[in-house]
Amino acid sequence: MEKKTDSREAILARIRRNTQRVYERPDLSALEQAAIHYDDRVEQFRKVMHQMGGRAVLVQPGDDLNELIRQQYPDARRVASALDRVEVCGREQALTCPTFHPDSVACSRDLDGTDLAIVRGSWGVCENGAVWIAADVEQRAVYFIAEALAIVLDRNCLVDNMHEAYRRIDTGAYGFGVFISGPSKTADIEQALVFGAHGAADVTVFLV
Amino acid sequence: MSTKHSVAAGRFLKGDRAVWHDETLWMVRAKRDAMSHSLPEWEQLRDAAAAIKNYSNSHLADLLEEFERNATAAGVHVHWASDAEEFCATVADILEAHGAKHLVKSKSMLAEECGLTPYLEARGIEAAETDLGERILQLMHQRPSHIVLPAIHLRKEEIGDLFRREGMHVDPGNNDQTYLTHAARRDWRHKFLEADAAMTGCNFAVAETGECVVCTNEGNAEMGTSQPKLQITAFGLEKVVPDRRSLGVFTRLLARSATGQPVTTYTAHYRKPRPGGELHFIIVDNGRTDILASPDHVKMLNCLRCGACMNTCPVYRRSGGHSYTYFIPGPVGINLGMLKDPARYSDNVSACSLCHSCQDVCPAKIDLAEQIYKWRQVLDGYGVASAAKKHLSQALEWVIDHPHLFGAAVRNAHLVNSLPHWLMYNRLNEWGKEHDMMHFPHESFSEMWKRGKVMPARTNKENDGEKD
Ligand code: SF4
Repeated sequence: MEKKTDSREAILARIRRNTQRVYERPDLSALEQAAIHYDDRVEQFRKVMHQMGGRAVLVQPGDDLNELIRQQYPDARRVASALDRVEVCGREQALTCPTFHPDSVACSRDLDGTDLAIVRGSWGVCENGAVWIAADVEQRAVYFIAEALAIVLDRNCLVDNMHEAYRRIDTGAYGFGVFISGPSKTADIEQALVFGAHGAADVTVFLV
Repeated sequence: MSTKHSVAAGRFLKGDRAVWHDETLWMVRAKRDAMSHSLPEWEQLRDAAAAIKNYSNSHLADLLEEFERNATAAGVHVHWASDAEEFCATVADILEAHGAKHLVKSKSMLAEECGLTPYLEARGIEAAETDLGERILQLMHQRPSHIVLPAIHLRKEEIGDLFRREGMHVDPGNNDQTYLTHAARRDWRHKFLEADAAMTGCNFAVAETGECVVCTNEGNAEMGTSQPKLQITAFGLEKVVPDRRSLGVFTRLLARSATGQPVTTYTAHYRKPRPGGELHFIIVDNGRTDILASPDHVKMLNCLRCGACMNTCPVYRRSGGHSYTYFIPGPVGINLGMLKDPARYSDNVSACSLCHSCQDVCPAKIDLAEQIYKWRQVLDGYGVASAAKKHLSQALEWVIDHPHLFGAAVRNAHLVNSLPHWLMYNRLNEWGKEHDMMHFPHESFSEMWKRGKVMPARTNKENDGEKD
């Protein structure tokens, strides 16, 4: 074993010595141009969310978002959210159903037992139901530990595919972001699909 | 002429799981096909993935330096490890410096390759797996039999019994998959909450941003890394990719190829430590720079670890992951094992029918079967080529080298169908011994082609292995 401080130099030297054929960087623009797109993004997103085991709800002008969330999750008691106002179909609404702010807890483990987390998504991807969430709280556990996740997403922020998504996303001030597509799942026991492995067992995207 | 693989495969076939195993993996393969057919640009995506990997793996030094620069600027500690020993020591040192005794781990092939868990245990540090399948195997003291579906060889009854033995809250006789999965979710939650540190592998390390990207379905890696404030993410140096733009290509291919899903549930990007926490990235060589020097095998570094080549492999499906002697089974494992230690892992080289199905499905277009063929040619050098298989392949080569003979052989192949079983499965027919002979059609492909009975396929033909 080489001494720790030398390993960096040694590895880089081995790479430079052993690299044989050198390849050009490919131009991806033709692929990105040809990549799948959808005429009706909202409809496609709804379909794919269903396929991924979650659901997308298209909020109508005049709907009360608090009401819709409560209808979907009538038993949720501990509801975490960093959002207090949400724009729904061009009109601001106060979000009143959350019961606490995720950063109000002393440590991450105190978030265990959260029934529902309401979070903001930045971009939704129509080919696979993935929604980009850039962490906007210190306790990023809130995105994973709650039993159910409600994602609020602007319907104008739906893109066709991952090429489009990666041109737009960023990780934000906390340096963490995640695409989430539907509920947590596993098929580790005899390949039977089960929702709710470790993360949220239920996911709804509210398209506002 | 038995290899360790063929003996173990024989045992597997006698068990009651063989048919289920074969059919279940074939179903995963079929799901992958449905996904690939749903995207008209599928072949362009594979070409792009291979081209990006060829570029990255021939610019590793520059990309890794760029990655390190950007990660360091974001407050991440970057470490380099030449080999398994140094990697394990680096992890242990970080943990010990924080007095961490309980580590939650999400699946990492690299950690497995380097023997991290036993190393840490010997130093009094618990390393608990958190992926459901991996945790089950850890409790059973077994190794994974598949890189994406680690517990594919187990029955739900065995898992139910394990949970009851472990004192989990599981009713006697209830082995329902949903019931057991939710019991694990409940009972193992405290592992996350009590951990001092979290460790993950990494699917892509992005040079442009200095971030690590981890893909999971269960959310175990994400749950782990959002509890304790100390996080270690380690990766083999070939995981580096130039930019986020390339992730557009890889994230579209990975889950579709692996399990036939459009994307994994979680694709997490780690760029900065949590407030008040520490984030460590460890870049590991452990033999990868040697692979760079081998023109015949350098493409193995393109691997995304999707497992598609295993699901499609007729030998893997019928022999199970535990019949291979290297810890990664299937076509990818045969090749990686040979690159690790050819004398030690050469038994696996015969576990291939050269049907080429693996390289037809590989999202990174690795020439897996061709590489296995090349290994067979040099087995003599390791003193392990069996005389019988050698004669067979020499005969085959001779026929292939003489096109008129090859044509005659193929035209008359259907005559084999009416040969008595004892003749086809005699001791000299080394293929018939462990593989049912294929059924030859009455018209050869080229005859059918000439008569206009064959229509060109829409995309590049997908070899179905020998399954019909
Ligand atoms: S070799 Fe190709 S098909 Fe096999 S695991 Fe790697 S990327 Fe997937």
